Amino acid sequence: MNQDSSLIEQIVERYDRDVGMLIPMMQDLQAECGYLPTDSLRALAKRLNVPLMRLYAVATFYASFRLAPKGAHEVSLCMGTVCYLKGSAGISQAICKEFKVAPSGTTADRLFTFTAVNCVGACALAPVMVVDGKYYDGVTSESALEILQGLGPAEQAAQADAKEAAE
Amino acid sequence: MPTVTIDGHSVEVERGATVLDAARYAGIWIPTLCYHPALSSEASCRLCMVELDRGDWRQLVTACNYPVRHDVIVYVMSERAQQARRGVMELLLARSPDSQELKELAERMGVKGTLWPKVTESQRNCILCGLCVRVCEQIIGKSAIGFAGRGADRTVAAPFRQPSEDCIGCGACAAVCPVGTIEVRVHKDECEVEISPFKSRVKLLVCKQCGAPILSTQVCEQALRNVGWATCLPMQACSQGNVGMGRKSAHATFWPELRKRLRLCPKCRRLQTAGRVASP
Amino acid sequence: MIDAPARFASIADFEGFARSLRSQDRTGTRSVRLCMGTGCQAKGAARLYELFEEAIESASGRGRAGNIEVKPTGCHGLCQRSPIVVVEPAGIFYQQVEEPDVAEIFRETVLGGRAVPRLLYQDPESGRKLEAAEEIPFYKVQQRIVLSQNGRIDPTKITDYIAAGGYSALVKALTSMTPEEVIAEVEVAGLRGRGGGGFPTARKWRSCRSAAGGPKYVIGNGDEGDPGAYMDRSLMEGNPHSVIEGMLIGAYAIGSEKGYIYVRNEYPLAVKYLRTAISQAQEIGLLGENILGTSFSFDIQINRGGGAFVCGESTALMASLEGRPGEPRAKYVHTVESGLWGKPTNLNNVETWANIPHIINRGGKWFAGIGTEKSKGTKVFSLVGKIANSGLVEVPMGITLRRIIYEIGGGIRDGKKFKAVQTGGPSGGCIPAEHLDARVDYEELTNLGSMMGSGGLIVMDEDTCMVNIARYFTDFLLNESCGKCTPCREGLAQMRHILQGITKGDGQAGDVEKLQALAEILSGTALCALGATAANPVLSTIRYFRDEYDAHILDRRCPAKECRGLFIYQIDAEACKGCGICLKNCPVDAITGERKAPHVIDEQKCTRCGTCWEKCPFTAVLKV
Ligand SMILES: Cc1cc2nc3c(=O)[nH]c(=O)nc-3n(C[C@H](O)[C@H](O)[C@H](O)COP(=O)(O)O)c2cc1C
Ligand code: SF4
Ligand code: FES
Ligand code: FES
Repeated sequence: MNQDSSLIEQIVERYDRDVGMLIPMMQDLQAECGYLPTDSLRALAKRLNVPLMRLYAVATFYASFRLAPKGAHEVSLCMGTVCYLKGSAGISQAICKEFKVAPSGTTADRLFTFTAVNCVGACALAPVMVVDGKYYDGVTSESALEILQGLGPAEQAAQADAKEAAE
Repeated sequence: MPTVTIDGHSVEVERGATVLDAARYAGIWIPTLCYHPALSSEASCRLCMVELDRGDWRQLVTACNYPVRHDVIVYVMSERAQQARRGVMELLLARSPDSQELKELAERMGVKGTLWPKVTESQRNCILCGLCVRVCEQIIGKSAIGFAGRGADRTVAAPFRQPSEDCIGCGACAAVCPVGTIEVRVHKDECEVEISPFKSRVKLLVCKQCGAPILSTQVCEQALRNVGWATCLPMQACSQGNVGMGRKSAHATFWPELRKRLRLCPKCRRLQTAGRVASP
Repeated sequence: MIDAPARFASIADFEGFARSLRSQDRTGTRSVRLCMGTGCQAKGAARLYELFEEAIESASGRGRAGNIEVKPTGCHGLCQRSPIVVVEPAGIFYQQVEEPDVAEIFRETVLGGRAVPRLLYQDPESGRKLEAAEEIPFYKVQQRIVLSQNGRIDPTKITDYIAAGGYSALVKALTSMTPEEVIAEVEVAGLRGRGGGGFPTARKWRSCRSAAGGPKYVIGNGDEGDPGAYMDRSLMEGNPHSVIEGMLIGAYAIGSEKGYIYVRNEYPLAVKYLRTAISQAQEIGLLGENILGTSFSFDIQINRGGGAFVCGESTALMASLEGRPGEPRAKYVHTVESGLWGKPTNLNNVETWANIPHIINRGGKWFAGIGTEKSKGTKVFSLVGKIANSGLVEVPMGITLRRIIYEIGGGIRDGKKFKAVQTGGPSGGCIPAEHLDARVDYEELTNLGSMMGSGGLIVMDEDTCMVNIARYFTDFLLNESCGKCTPCREGLAQMRHILQGITKGDGQAGDVEKLQALAEILSGTALCALGATAANPVLSTIRYFRDEYDAHILDRRCPAKECRGLFIYQIDAEACKGCGICLKNCPVDAITGERKAPHVIDEQKCTRCGTCWEKCPFTAVLKV
């Protein structure tokens, strides 16, 4: 809790307490926590003296904000026009079916959070899948499943995350 | 002052007034849903479309927020304007087919029904006009409710879709809702008022005499705060006649006085006053 | 890091420094330019970079390196063939370079000055191996102005940009032009906005300059929400300083001291490079108070979007910059009068900004000499889809779509037939083959029921169902609609409902007319341009591909064989080898047949899942 409030304090100071910078502040908060924890949003609203509703409205309007913890890995599949033309809808279906995950959902074992995004700006390589920031080009249902099956187990990745954070 | 000519009738309005202001002034009816004179215009329902003469072409604009900056000619009853309003109304009817209020408005506009099926979810007929959201923010100053989500998923909600801690249970949102989505429910047993569908609850102040609910404790406090500060500062009328006292203590004396008066429901207060007058 | 005084106190100081950079003797310098754009990085360019560095190190250990540098650059454009490596001074262009190739390139080309034919681009027609980029048809037809330094300079080094002539336009404007003269020059150039609408840039600047009140803001729109478009990304990643210089000049002309660049959330690299560029510019006094010792002050801040397409719209973008949901508002009072925080605000697309330094340096007349009567200069497009050479291209306005698709793009992939090219993003339209000779020009594309948009050119072939594409865009727009106004939120939902029905085989006679009626409501009554133009994909496909709609609705048939259930699978008895793979994979046991004998699909049992079609190693399963 204490740590949390100092994190909010840091973020707020980073932007000179400027309420106009609410979105960057929330982005930083999400970058730190992986999602937007309810208590942190409350604390941020209080610190900035803005209604909590405003933060909730922002958090639910923009697709990149998450109100629930994410999985150990982040997987985005491009559903932009080009990727769609080249079959990304089928790939999405295959992933959802294989891992029993809904678009913008997280697998039950928290292995990964799956999001369908609109164009990642690498259209020449369509269909594109991005896993933890790494771009995979020309993916097919098979190759996508293979990549995801190769992801390290949730705990391992979490430990790696923790280690990284500690360093 | 610029002149607005609406379907041939001319009225003069202040610069910056809206076409809707002008129409109302001229006694011409334009249907509206998301407009309220006490609130900012968001022009989100798009029901008040009229045609604006631009010289060589005509443009559809929303009357409720189109600012009159110079002389303008508008058409409310032109075929295109009527058709635009009808189109919007039909979409709203498809969204909230059970709303009696909406049907009545449609009828008044001459819209018989809608050919569109219901394809979007609406929470108790909510048409997302946003009046409740704006009244809570702009008049009450609380923003206890707001819009959540976007696109077809947009809804009016309290933060995290949980009862709002900021809600003072004033019911202003229910008062402005044009389709009766929001209700004020009194739970006598728990002595609470609920703003539904947001599930926000606030304790009620009850009459010391008869136990009838008077009003939300928070509304009372907020009113006291507002009224208290505003009238107490000049301080002539402070209950103890303490003129020239500091802010805080003036307030401190004023508050309990008001509180005392608020302990009774209007009826019992009347009875008490009457009793006092009868036997001094 | 920058070999320069901390902050230039005067223009003369800066010019002296720039002159020394520009006149540096580079003879004998060999450099390896490595594309580090997103495309090439996805294909392992970062590792190639390391390998080249190692090679240089070990060569210098052996005293053979001389002046060799490896330079990470922005996107070269031919993303289809990534990773791309260019070796200077000869300018030898290598494509699809893999890790094991590095040693050979280094030995043969960098040290030996010889080309490695294996890695050169082969002209598909003549079969010739081409050494220089300029010889490759993909580049030959292009005219690179905005992208002229993309792929040449290291985007993380301001000195690279300055050495290539960067910031000379700013100096020119500050020293020899009044703000009015700057605007007049842009007016002569006839530059129009590259973000979609094509509004005359000079007129916007002038309105903002003369608007009452202040402070005034200038904004670079780098939101690039159109799926299938990545021009702005490559520009911000490949040459961020050109955007900054353009904004500086604009701010000087308009009278603004504060700027923002709003970058799409999905573009982390662009954010990083822009941040680096801004801090370098601040360091040497090209941004901040009293720029180069003059009385002009201006600074830029980067804001990241939150993943909302509508935030590309000007008023929504400003709402987002104010820390609110990106909901548009009415523009009856223009943003140049009342924009961000209610102050006069000038918003331009980042490509628009990047054109400015060129116009100031080479003059409005020169710029106006390129293009058509009403559309001047060049336009950057991302040429993608079912095209042989996908990539980023910059062409003069007025070039025909045919030349872009066939000469630059090399035609359709896999020998398929061209069906349509989609321009203008989700609110654009699909242009069919009979209009391929249309010229790239704001008015001409609008007349065809599409628009210039920000620059996506998505090529579709015979396998693309146009009804399904219309459904795709409607879906996209409904998901991205802010939901504030009735027609967009409800009207698009109705449209999607109808289109879903048609593509599922539940279409009804009269559906097309209903779609048209909804389109009319949307264009007339929606609050912002997202809703007002949302019906374009539907209208343009109805206009050019009505027969496909009719086939779906009346015959329950999808001519492109894309809509599941509206075509059937059959096994071509001649191609079938009787391997049994389809039989094993069919989830409903609809396939029968003896081994080594042609198999048959039972049409009654078949659920049209397409598994057999995917699995057949001999492409013997046909869609009919
Ligand atoms: C829904 C919508 C999305 C838009 N997205 C973008 C965008 O991603 N990038 C952009 O530069 N302009 C976009 N625009 C256009 C902007 O509103 C604006 O016209 C433009 O940035 C102005 O710059 P320009 O005059 O230099 O083109 C969009 C407009 C709409 C209605
Ligand atoms: S047209 Fe669509 S995106 Fe624009 S304001 Fe209306 S709902 Fe929002
Ligand atoms: S459409 Fe998928 S990367 Fe652009
Ligand atoms: S009343 Fe004007 S748009 Fe709703």
